[in-house]
Amino acid sequence: MLKYVLKRVGLALITLLIIVFLLFWLVRVMPGNPFPSERMNDIQIANKRAEMGLDDPVLVQFARYIIKALQGDFGNGTSLYYGVPINTVLSKAIGNSFRIGGIAIVIGTLIGLLLGITAALNRGKFLDGFCTVFSIIGVCVPSYVFLIFLQYNFAFRIPFFPYFFDPNRFVFSSVLPSLSLSLFTMSTIARFTRNEMVEVFDSDYVRLAESKGMYGRTLVLRHVLRNALIPIVTVLAPLVVDLLTGALVVEKIYGINGIGKLMVDAITGEGIDYNYVLALGILYSALYIGVMLAVDLLYGVLDPRIRVAAKGEEA
Amino acid sequence: MAKKNIQPAAAAAQSVYTPVPGDFELLHRRDIRTDANFASQSYWKGVFTHFFKNKRAVVGLIIITVIILLALFGPIMNSYDYKDIVQFRNEKNKRVVAKGIAPRIPGLHKLLTGEEYDDSFKDLTFLFGTDDLGRDLWTRTWYGARVSLAIAFITIFIDMIIGMSYGLISGYFGGLADNIMQRFVEIANSVPRLVIVSVLAIFMPKGMALVVVALLLTEWIGMSKIARAEMLKIKEQEYVLASRTLGARNSHIIFREILPNTIGPIITQVMFSIPTAIFTEAFLSFVGVGIVLPHCSVGTLIEDGFNNITTLPYQILPPIIVLALLMLGFNFIGDGLREALAPKLEDM
Amino acid sequence: MKKLFALLMAAMLLVTCAFTAASAEGEKYLGVMLSTNVMSLDTNLATDGESFEVIADCIDGLMQMDANGAAIPAIAESYDLSEDGTVYTFHLRDAKWSNGAAVTANDFEFAWKRIAKEAGEYAYLLDTSVGCIKNADAIIYEGADPETLGVKALDDKTFEVTLEVPVSFFPSLMYFPTFYPINEEFYNSLAEGTYGTSPETFLSNGAFVLEDYAPGTASLSVKKNDAYWDADSIKLAGIKYQVVGSSDNALTAFRSNTLDVVTVSGSQVGAVEKDASLSSQLKVTGAGYLWYLTFSQTANNANGYLANKNLRLAITNAIDRESLVENYVMDGSLDTYTAVPPQFAASSTTGEDFSADQDQFLDYVGFDPDKAAAFFETAKAELGQDEFTFTLIYGNNEGDEVAKVAQAIKADLEDLLPGLTVNLQPMTKSERLDKMQNDNYEIALTRWGPDYADPMTYLGMWITNNSNNYGFWSNAEYDQLIKDCTTGAYITDYDARWAALLQAETIVMQEAVIAPLYTKANANLIASGVNGIQFHPVALNRVYKAVVLE
Repeated sequence: MLKYVLKRVGLALITLLIIVFLLFWLVRVMPGNPFPSERMNDIQIANKRAEMGLDDPVLVQFARYIIKALQGDFGNGTSLYYGVPINTVLSKAIGNSFRIGGIAIVIGTLIGLLLGITAALNRGKFLDGFCTVFSIIGVCVPSYVFLIFLQYNFAFRIPFFPYFFDPNRFVFSSVLPSLSLSLFTMSTIARFTRNEMVEVFDSDYVRLAESKGMYGRTLVLRHVLRNALIPIVTVLAPLVVDLLTGALVVEKIYGINGIGKLMVDAITGEGIDYNYVLALGILYSALYIGVMLAVDLLYGVLDPRIRVAAKGEEA
Repeated sequence: MAKKNIQPAAAAAQSVYTPVPGDFELLHRRDIRTDANFASQSYWKGVFTHFFKNKRAVVGLIIITVIILLALFGPIMNSYDYKDIVQFRNEKNKRVVAKGIAPRIPGLHKLLTGEEYDDSFKDLTFLFGTDDLGRDLWTRTWYGARVSLAIAFITIFIDMIIGMSYGLISGYFGGLADNIMQRFVEIANSVPRLVIVSVLAIFMPKGMALVVVALLLTEWIGMSKIARAEMLKIKEQEYVLASRTLGARNSHIIFREILPNTIGPIITQVMFSIPTAIFTEAFLSFVGVGIVLPHCSVGTLIEDGFNNITTLPYQILPPIIVLALLMLGFNFIGDGLREALAPKLEDM
Repeated sequence: MKKLFALLMAAMLLVTCAFTAASAEGEKYLGVMLSTNVMSLDTNLATDGESFEVIADCIDGLMQMDANGAAIPAIAESYDLSEDGTVYTFHLRDAKWSNGAAVTANDFEFAWKRIAKEAGEYAYLLDTSVGCIKNADAIIYEGADPETLGVKALDDKTFEVTLEVPVSFFPSLMYFPTFYPINEEFYNSLAEGTYGTSPETFLSNGAFVLEDYAPGTASLSVKKNDAYWDADSIKLAGIKYQVVGSSDNALTAFRSNTLDVVTVSGSQVGAVEKDASLSSQLKVTGAGYLWYLTFSQTANNANGYLANKNLRLAITNAIDRESLVENYVMDGSLDTYTAVPPQFAASSTTGEDFSADQDQFLDYVGFDPDKAAAFFETAKAELGQDEFTFTLIYGNNEGDEVAKVAQAIKADLEDLLPGLTVNLQPMTKSERLDKMQNDNYEIALTRWGPDYADPMTYLGMWITNNSNNYGFWSNAEYDQLIKDCTTGAYITDYDARWAALLQAETIVMQEAVIAPLYTKANANLIASGVNGIQFHPVALNRVYKAVVLE
């Protein structure tokens, strides 16, 4: 097992390097300047580009970037928070996004599972129908529309929650954005759980378990849910990455300094901030690769028959 | 089985089994029911029969059909055009624009309240109202539904063809093949869509084609993950081993033996990737690489409605309801298909 | 597992309740909306109005703005001007930085030389197109030694600035943040890239000190500076800024009393006006920006068709600007028919607004379908072409109304000029600028805000080879007029210069170099009880020094 994990981590580093290079090259191909340029003339722009080393061959720039990045220096902002080291800005934004996204994942997964299980146990009855309609609405209504609704009702009409995000009252002011972000996850998980469990309930081995006299919670949790978890974990994994890496509109509406907004600002702001795009790209890829590795390992735990690793790699 | 009972399929599915000579001897009970004999009709015919026996599936089919019909004919059901601003010049030569009008049917309004609307457009009917530019939302909603329906079907296609095959193959072969294929997924998924699409936009015209390319780049990934997970689970089961031992070809095992058993989560995944794709299109259109104004889609209409949510709150409702109905329809159809395609769900 | 989650949820609820009690604050701060994040508090790097506003809260320059936008003394108690009008000697008052150090002439010398050396976005304010500080051009564009810049600290309290030529509006430049001082010793004591990134790394000598700020933050606050030289006249305890990304959200934030000063979108103004209590709190102020269409007039684009003057005139006469501002912009913006927008540059001799008369160019620009059609017919004949298709590019992140304006223009043009097709193409501002700067567009919807209170901030853009001359238009007579006004014959004769500027503007309009559309206004909601916020279309959009809370 350890050997397999180490091998995957090694591969992940290579994958990451490829991704960073692709991104490094692509942002330089994109139209636009890496700094605001409305009031600069051609000479100034050329000087700025030279100063940033943009005239060197891409490979040279890339090598320079990688060497610095390995030392933990991801450069300074050029079109966002000018001149400030990216690490300073990112550390705060990552903290905010991870915590709000984290809460959203927990809420979404828990309620989604509960809804799904309830629906599956009441198959064909009212609760099942409710769950279906709820999940469909949940994926059709964008999270920011839901947030506006929550904000209007629970921060304005009934002024219980703060109207904007306040880092000094973190948990309290995360409730509304987390709740709205969890809606999509909740709906997806509920639907997958319901459909999977219904299918597992119909399978031969559950019938066998039933016929052996197993019933109730043991049956549902030990046999049905466990077997239904594989697709659930699979759909949950990318959602986890997406939620952790922030949501542009929700952050904008609720005044959250998060990485979703940073990423879009870096691309669509006064210029294209290469350094931010790269740093955030690395963060996203690393998270994605890590979560996917975790999922592959989890498969083996959920169903011991599954072997993702090739023979000889397990130990 | 001694002799195959050749009967019309529908009848076989319904009728009480009638013993024939040479058959096994029946027990003493005469009212015994047997399995519907699906082997006696073609697989797809069975699917078809089952699908249409499912009430919800039929309702779903009706919903989708109605939406398609409205998308085709809705925009021509009144005199407005999706891109024309309803306006006229008054006696002072000032432009009067029919913007921000809530849904209205003048005749009905008069019937209920006995009054007429007190503005310049009192005789005009706007079933869904008008937007903040003064365009009829009924026309725009159904016009936009065309784009979004296209996106929905393209997504289904991408998911079912690319995503499913990719995931099944990756999961089935495992080892090195899986390793390479999954690393490729990680790379494809990690370049921000905004970056890759902006670069693509240099080489190809912005518009629907670019949206489709953008969807092709990443939209299949979720599906491939699901298909792969299912494959990993199922390929270790005994019947696959049996099939392999009997010398079945890989393609036969993947697509004929395993695929039907993974269809449940796959259909669920298809259903849930549709709204994501519709919103992706809206996002791409907003940043200027998707469909171009004044064209619209359900996704862009929702974004427009969201931008005016405090001032023109009715504006967001039609596109959201259309999207929800679309999803409901697709989900009902999906559920129906799931049950029809996986016979083990059928009451036997 | 389930129990753990249950515990977690319970804990969350508890914390929620614990924090419900509103944190008690001392004196009330003014809650103000910012529409974008503050990008930098470094005067060399800041480029946006939000950053300038916060910098100006905390730092005083040599001069400051009075309620009408005129320059009045701030750190400079007084100044002398040499007889030839090229040497300004500023006499500094006793003022202190927030770390106790005295504000000296060296702080200005250091800061200005730094601006010239770094040659950033706003360095052009020093060069011969605007400030005309001696040797600025050589330093900014040719990399000459920054020490040669024509500024000198004669002693701690005397700051001398030498110009290449007299600049009539030079004192009013002094309130622009680019010309603000930085304490050299403090700056040098900080690690690179950390100046202005937190209250600890930022010094103020102005009305407020930074209280809570970090780059990227969506909320920040400043509090009253008791050591400010004019502290007695500052009545406000502090300002709490909140970035509100969607203007739609601003109105509800205002109604919930979260914010006292917000800018609402045009589409909300109608709703605000219908509400009696809200409408009394509505205040429309000029934002200065002129929105206009610029045409690429080179052969590279659109087959060079837009180089045809009559075609451009046809377009500019086919746009119903009145309907545009009334129906789509709706925030009190003014339909504009001059290349220099009204309400920001008034003559210092007559006091008259440069663009007060919006009808003076009606022969060339206005809304006249018949004239538009006539111009179009001429253009068709001249170009031997009956059908034209142009792409109009505009920014998708430059305000709620921009897409609406673009669509309305498309509708107008296609309606009134049969044969003309306009395709819309939204893109990011950065991409739009890139396309415009590299002459890779056909028609663009763009804007320009005045950096200083002189018509030159607009008219200087259309000289040959200026980087903001996006049409790549060139006219020798025009170039000469502008040259005479900046460094030539008219620099000492104010009224003659004014007349020459008008003459230059006439050429721009005659040639339809641009099609002016509207001058942007902001629809502000200001909570009743908040008095004394000064709004300006130039340089600093909002000044809080005179604010009194009731």
